[in-house]
Amino acid sequence: MRTLVEVVARRGPGGHTVLPVVRAGGQYAVRRTGPATLHLVATAFGPLGGDEVAVRLVVEEGARLCVRSVAAAVALPSRGAARPSVQRIEATVAGVLDLAPEPTVVAARTRHVAELEAELGPDGVLTAADQVLLGRRGEEPGRWTGTTRVVRGGRPLLHTTVDLGPGAPAWLPPVGPRAYASTVHVGSDDRPVATGADAVRLPLPGGWTATAWGAELHRVTGALATLTAPERETA
Amino acid sequence: MTAALLTLADSRLPAGGHTHSGGVEQAIAAGVVHDPATLSAFLRRRLHTSGAVAAGLAAAACGADPTTLVRLDQEADARTPSPALRAASRQQGRGLVRVGRRAWPSPAWDDLPERPHHALALGVAAHAGGLLPRDAAAAAAYLSVSGPATAAQRLLAMDPLAVAALTARLAAEIDAVAAVDGVPAAADPLLDLLAEVHAARKDRFFAS
Amino acid sequence: MPPDHNVDDYVDAPAPHRHGGPLRVGLGGPVGSGKTALAAALCRTLGAEYDLAVVTNDIYTTEDADFLRRNAVLPDDRIEAVQTGCCPHTAIRDDITANLDAVELLESRHPGLELVLVESGGDNLTASFSYGLVDVQVFVVDVAGGDKVPRKGGPGVTAADLLVVNKTDLAPLVGADLGVMRRDADAVRGGRPTLLVSLREDPTAAAVADWVREQVRVRGAAGADTTRA
Repeated sequence: MRTLVEVVARRGPGGHTVLPVVRAGGQYAVRRTGPATLHLVATAFGPLGGDEVAVRLVVEEGARLCVRSVAAAVALPSRGAARPSVQRIEATVAGVLDLAPEPTVVAARTRHVAELEAELGPDGVLTAADQVLLGRRGEEPGRWTGTTRVVRGGRPLLHTTVDLGPGAPAWLPPVGPRAYASTVHVGSDDRPVATGADAVRLPLPGGWTATAWGAELHRVTGALATLTAPERETA
Repeated sequence: MTAALLTLADSRLPAGGHTHSGGVEQAIAAGVVHDPATLSAFLRRRLHTSGAVAAGLAAAACGADPTTLVRLDQEADARTPSPALRAASRQQGRGLVRVGRRAWPSPAWDDLPERPHHALALGVAAHAGGLLPRDAAAAAAYLSVSGPATAAQRLLAMDPLAVAALTARLAAEIDAVAAVDGVPAAADPLLDLLAEVHAARKDRFFAS
Repeated sequence: MPPDHNVDDYVDAPAPHRHGGPLRVGLGGPVGSGKTALAAALCRTLGAEYDLAVVTNDIYTTEDADFLRRNAVLPDDRIEAVQTGCCPHTAIRDDITANLDAVELLESRHPGLELVLVESGGDNLTASFSYGLVDVQVFVVDVAGGDKVPRKGGPGVTAADLLVVNKTDLAPLVGADLGVMRRDADAVRGGRPTLLVSLREDPTAAAVADWVREQVRVRGAAGADTTRA
């Protein structure tokens, strides 16, 4: 199944954000749940192997957009050939974008690919969070490959691909965690390096990228929260 | 041109590599590496992440024009968010430029940014030595495991024959990483964490 | 060598006997012989005369650098500690990159620098500095190691520009014969100087400081033209 979500956020009268374009089809519906907040609502099981989701977000100067989802997504294997499910988010951010969907659970024998490519304007502010759990309770972990590329003014600020799960070389014993969470922030919140037991925060120009991993997702998100506190701004 | 490649990848080339453990010193301190099997796993994850990135960057830098080298240096930074790993890479880049300028004189050295990432210096060294991008990638991929392997051998007093054997058995994987297209962005947050904890220590043998 | 071999095609420059910039003095020797104490003494004695800095090559910790900070009245920005990757020997002889980085960092930080002491990590009698790193080198042994040390030789004892036999005050306690040490050293050193000192009795290291002054006078001012003895 192919899914396309398109949203444009624009500064409207009185400085409030308006959303002149909100389109969704395929496996997602979009609900506006706040002045500048959207929730993605899955309308089908999955994603399944072979499914492709493209999300295009444009946040114009002076506008804010906050994207959430209503429930964890459970990536399931394809019925036929072993194809990954792919979710690709392209964001053009001159205003403020806050992207924090619910966790992605990657079922056994499943490959899920998540990509975020963000092009920031000079005053663009981006906060993007990923939460991943490999395998449902009691089953083998699936495989998740997440790429984040953030560019500002033509200059790449961050470009990383994290590959987790059976067969991924950076997921070899003794450090092959089932749960992973990561948040990248670029704006005007400079922070130095910080380290935790299985967590690390690294500085970026005007921001940071923080990552935590471990056996249980709630502990991992807790470890991440200690590195990213005070809490992120919400739109 | 094989002899130039052997020289470039030789651990005895005085470019400062022997003072860097590629994260192994901290991996040992953290209990992640303690025997040949865990060392092999560590080398594989390093090869397929920072090794693959370095191979892609080195190949792209081999014969690149000055503008491209500046862009590649930025791409290297974007793929190396850890300040400790950036510093280690640039320190080794500086060391390789120092010996490379003497070993393979070429105007290409002047095209490099100040204190370039190590992979870029490798690419330029390969070009100056008459080698091809794939040779630069091979050197980068090989060095991403040979340095940490030697460091582990010293730190754990491991059997050098065992370390040589497990490094040799990675040959096919090293070749595969060196053959990769483009510049991968493969990251390992564990290596980032180890590097930052290591950099904050006062009691360490290795610079990284 | 092929008949048309032109040596200039293979050698990129005459061997540098004297680097530009400050005079670089290597201080090597076995563990515990008093290298760091000598470095501290030289800093105290010569610090007012010369613009100087120190590079330390501790095998494991920054202990030597910390010792110098406490004992040499040398500010932090004049001391650089180098990590040697478990091989202090390699870092001063086979791959001197990290030490060159440290020297260059000190030079850029202190443009008027006249003297850099490069202290090796404690090693054994075979350790010596590459002349790609230092202009002259001092090898420090001590009486407590036994009066056989000079006779045993090794590159440090035989070839160093200055051999310092430290802790002469301990000679009676350890049954070492200073005369034997002097005679054996002279026999293997081909006329190069040897100084018998006790840093405990003379914490200024006056004799060694005089030798360093002479090196600065002879080699420092003349720049790259001066050749090594």
